[in-house]
Amino acid sequence: MKYLIFILLVFSSLKAFDYKLKPIKLNENSYFFYGKEEYFSPLNGGDIANVSFIITQNSVILIDTGSSYEYGLQIKKEIEKITSKPIKYIINTHHHPDHFLGNSAFQSDIFATDYTKNEITQNGDLYIVNLVNIVQSAMKNTKVKAPNKNLNSKILDLDGYKLEILYLDGHTKSDVVLFDSQTKILYSADLVFHKRTPATAHADIKKWIKSLEELEKIDYKFLVSGHGIATTSKKPIKENISYLRFLDETLKQSAKNGLDIFEILEKPIPKEFESFTMFKEEFERSVINLYPSYEKDLK
Amino acid sequence: MKLIYLLIFSFIFLQNLNAKNPISSPTFDDILKDIIKNDKYIFDDENIEIKVPSFADNPIQVPIFVNAKKIKDAKRMILFADLNPIPKIIDMDLKAIYPIISLNIKVAQETPIRALILDKNGVWHIASNNIKSFGGGCSVASVTSSDTDFGKFLGKINGEVFEVEKDTYRIKSSIFHPMETGLIFGNPEFYINKIVLKDNTNILSSMELFSAISENPRFIFETKIKSQNYIIEFSDVDGNVFTSEIK
Repeated sequence: MKYLIFILLVFSSLKAFDYKLKPIKLNENSYFFYGKEEYFSPLNGGDIANVSFIITQNSVILIDTGSSYEYGLQIKKEIEKITSKPIKYIINTHHHPDHFLGNSAFQSDIFATDYTKNEITQNGDLYIVNLVNIVQSAMKNTKVKAPNKNLNSKILDLDGYKLEILYLDGHTKSDVVLFDSQTKILYSADLVFHKRTPATAHADIKKWIKSLEELEKIDYKFLVSGHGIATTSKKPIKENISYLRFLDETLKQSAKNGLDIFEILEKPIPKEFESFTMFKEEFERSVINLYPSYEKDLK
Repeated sequence: MKLIYLLIFSFIFLQNLNAKNPISSPTFDDILKDIIKNDKYIFDDENIEIKVPSFADNPIQVPIFVNAKKIKDAKRMILFADLNPIPKIIDMDLKAIYPIISLNIKVAQETPIRALILDKNGVWHIASNNIKSFGGGCSVASVTSSDTDFGKFLGKINGEVFEVEKDTYRIKSSIFHPMETGLIFGNPEFYINKIVLKDNTNILSSMELFSAISENPRFIFETKIKSQNYIIEFSDVDGNVFTSEIK
């Protein structure tokens, strides 16, 4: 009996990581996979970002591909349960590893901006090494697959299905936002974090706020943010702007008063952000990353 | 039977000796002995605060803040990270500054960090904390030195003084320098190994630095001596001396 349990244990550990994915339906042909509002960990297998797909007349368009080869395979399986149409097109919204490392599970054409493509080509392997450290086994077989199609037009026509493309920046140096005028769904990628504290690893706060002000003009029915659940609410964009302003103002004031990083972190959390998930950890990361650039203005 | 009691007793005793060190590590005893020789020491987390990030995502820039102001008239302060290939971080002669420092360091892996403060009676107070990180920070070339413009900025100093409370003047200063460890083939060591902080006439503190400090280092010092004109002098291992007034 003991041996049996042992053998079972060995085999179960050989089994691929199960992400337990279920797409959430937004309307007739549009769905998204809701990424966990957590940081990368062995338990979530890196499933922390949203991935969306649109079923068109002849094909499926996939927006981002998640953080691993295995994740890519599993969303593919879930999509195949809904439709037999081929996943012909992928769009990588930006170069962060939780959004493109599932690319290698697909044979599709992959669209991205020049900048995003170069970042993926140059730093993709570094991202994998880093995630193997954090996420471990779920990263098995993950390889870099760079985009092969250049994204540069205002309208992307995929098999007759038209998507509006906005070329913005601020979260990274190149953030692609898609607006589907047929369904009025706005795919904001990581320019919007819904009720989840924004991550600022490669951010330019001023540009980010500008981009968000651009997005405020769009009359959407659904907003699929890069992180946090999809919503019909108009509030998330405003909330993000106010968080980024708060971050910017806090760092400016702190630099002016000569504070140390840890003195900033000890300040109480403003009420309006208490409902954000991951506030403490993301705020700490942002302060550590960004504060030195504010201190540069020392006399 | 007596022998067994003795064994049990000595076992418990040894366990207790270890338990005094709040974070044990295989290198701690050797590094400590190397620094303080046979001086007396106590573990004193109560009077010394070491602040570190909850997780150090970026192993080449890990902010540290040490505050040992509760130890009056402290003479010297030393920081080291047990599991770094270059454990020592900074060795400060406290003369006229408070036992407070803020700086960024590199970590090679998850490591305990210690602050040793020598009090006026010649006893070392030791505080510990743990830096959680996946590491790798000591074996990457500095970003600065791969910048082609780096000659232009080398040694550029910024600084500002803040009166944080009555009779406490905080001096913030940073300098553009690659702080190369020499651990990477082809990149010889090149780092600031000395800082002298002065007011018009007196030396407030002199410090020895090590390459475990991050590139383009930034510091916070605090002194009770008011001055219209502090002077900070950085020297590196190549013999360059960079001086600046801080007002």
